[in-house]
Amino acid sequence: MTVAVIGGGKISEQHLGTLRGIGGVDIAGVCDLSPALARFTAERFAVPNWFTDYHKMLERTRVDVVHVLTPPATHDRIVRDCLDSGRHVIVEKPVALSNAGFRELWDYAASRDLRLIENHNYRFNGPIQQLERAITAGRIGTIEEVEVRMALNIRGGGRYADENLPHPSHQLPAGIIHEFITHLAYLFLHFMPGSSIDDIESIRAMWRNHDGGKLFKYDDLDVGVLAGSVHGRIRFSCSQWPDCFMVQVRGTDGVATAELFHPTCQVTTRRSVGQHLTPLVNSIAGARTMVRSGFGSIWQKIRNRGAYDGLSRFLELSYNALRTGGEPPVGYRQMDETSRLVDAMLALENRI
Amino acid sequence: MKLLVTGAGGFLGRYVVASAVQCGHEVCAMVRPASQYIPESWQGHPQVEVVRGDLRSSHGSAQLLEGVDAVIHLAASKTGDLYEQFGGTVIATENLLDAMCEAGIGRLVVTSSFSLYEYLKRWAWSTLDEASPTAAEPFVRDEYCQTKLVQEQMVLERVEAHDWRCVVLRPGAIYGRDNLWTARLGIQVNDRWWIRTGTFAPLPLTYVENCAKAIVLAAEYNGPKRILVLNVVDNETPSQRAYLNELRDRVTPRPRIVPIPWTVMRLLARLAWLTNRVCFKGTAKIPGLFVPSRLHSQCKPLQYTNRKIVSSLGWEPQYSWQEGIHRSLEKADAADLPVPEAVESTPKALSVEQQT
Repeated sequence: MTVAVIGGGKISEQHLGTLRGIGGVDIAGVCDLSPALARFTAERFAVPNWFTDYHKMLERTRVDVVHVLTPPATHDRIVRDCLDSGRHVIVEKPVALSNAGFRELWDYAASRDLRLIENHNYRFNGPIQQLERAITAGRIGTIEEVEVRMALNIRGGGRYADENLPHPSHQLPAGIIHEFITHLAYLFLHFMPGSSIDDIESIRAMWRNHDGGKLFKYDDLDVGVLAGSVHGRIRFSCSQWPDCFMVQVRGTDGVATAELFHPTCQVTTRRSVGQHLTPLVNSIAGARTMVRSGFGSIWQKIRNRGAYDGLSRFLELSYNALRTGGEPPVGYRQMDETSRLVDAMLALENRI
Repeated sequence: MKLLVTGAGGFLGRYVVASAVQCGHEVCAMVRPASQYIPESWQGHPQVEVVRGDLRSSHGSAQLLEGVDAVIHLAASKTGDLYEQFGGTVIATENLLDAMCEAGIGRLVVTSSFSLYEYLKRWAWSTLDEASPTAAEPFVRDEYCQTKLVQEQMVLERVEAHDWRCVVLRPGAIYGRDNLWTARLGIQVNDRWWIRTGTFAPLPLTYVENCAKAIVLAAEYNGPKRILVLNVVDNETPSQRAYLNELRDRVTPRPRIVPIPWTVMRLLARLAWLTNRVCFKGTAKIPGLFVPSRLHSQCKPLQYTNRKIVSSLGWEPQYSWQEGIHRSLEKADAADLPVPEAVESTPKALSVEQQT
């Protein structure tokens, strides 16, 4: 299949690097508003053509799929143009700024018999897949509680804290948290029993700007969810240390935790050694996991694999689906429910 | 001349503003919109006008150039990942060049860097000058080298296309107040322990006041050549050991220096490179000092010359390297402008905002 990429920023580095490793995929063009960045990206990833106008790229290159990797507020227009030109679209999260926006785009793609796939890469990271296996194998019993937590010191410096040229995501409905909220939402829904937003009975969402200032709309989010007897929590914080991206699932027989920034999956469960020795065996297993995680973290750095580890699996499955006409790894239900959950959280903006 | 100095609030920029004012120029000192620190001596100074803007945004940049005769472009990003540095160095330059086209300004001085030369394929102790080739494999070099290379290439292409006059200055290691350390020395583990990576390699130093003077001379250059590319390095190039010993003697508490010879560093980097090739097919990410091309760019013993800049601009570095260190540690800062004796004209408006 032949591919083109729109957007030459940081995320395109991940997509282009991953695409080069997927068999049967040729990258025909890259596009960015900056000629320098478009050209640099093309040279760096050995892409034969670069453009500053994606309309021209769509006209002049024969591609099957377009990756839309531009800021979220531009997705609607660009995705529609790509679909109009008859190309399947793989788009960075969030596909749209609301569920209504997503549904319109989905219908637009469906009416043209084309695929629209939102990137849910973290679902395919190693620790998340291990967590899934532990739950499916019944190691923690019946799920009682799901927590997704991200702590990122984005106020401490870097592109999101830059007051000279505020990052465009500060203008999104959830401010800068909108950059991350899709990941939190789809992982949460993935592990909630039933995995459906219709099972959720109540949500409370506290959006806060604890550190103040005009740049950040919010820097902290605490969401509580109740679905039957299952409790859920989504947390985002800019002020906690260390940085983490964690999914923790508690069940009737144990607790399993996946950490994505320092890839590890730890399971504490009932052991067959009896009540008194179970804590000891769990501690030993936990210590082994921690040591493995410590070395694994260094190993990941050496191997140049970061938190985007799941992107290659996601893209492999996506391209396989596009080739065979099969079901993509992220379908209508996941995308629809994710954006509905985000909508629900935003609708409850500080109404407690 | 009326000069727009981008990056005026930075380490080098403050000295360039001071040097330009001393040479009788009017200066539009461009600082970032959220910059809290504006030197006190600029405020109300008849030759200095502070303009606020961020060149990473293209909006309103041309307005900042109104009435300007020449641009001294110093703004760049040295920190952050590749994309942050690309934004601060390349995109900013791209927007500036577009704004210059729009405003019809055809005179530019831009600071590039020594970091963009090829070091790995050079012989040790050979002389590096302006004719030396630039990085052969930029994508294995660090982000700073990659972005500076793209920036310089873009500037030269644009200058050529528009018949502008341009001086590209490639300074060596600029040192001065609060910036006495350079990566060419090694690693500052903490206040007490310094690791010196090499011993006898000459340092291509340029003291910040000397460098600032070279930049102003470049802006004034009216010679026969429309485009000049010049290395900026002072007359003396002390060895790593000499410079670090001098620095150590002036610091309290006196740090301990752990020397690692160049040969050992080179062997370690070679070993790491081989391991990467054999075990990981070259995909492993290893610390910069163990990547041969990066190590060589920082520590390889080479010789340097400033013959071309001296003959082209008539530049004469005023301060020796010892004087440079001494002046950097003095209380009085040469970047502070002297208060003019008689202010006849109305002081300039202090702040002009970039339109967004």
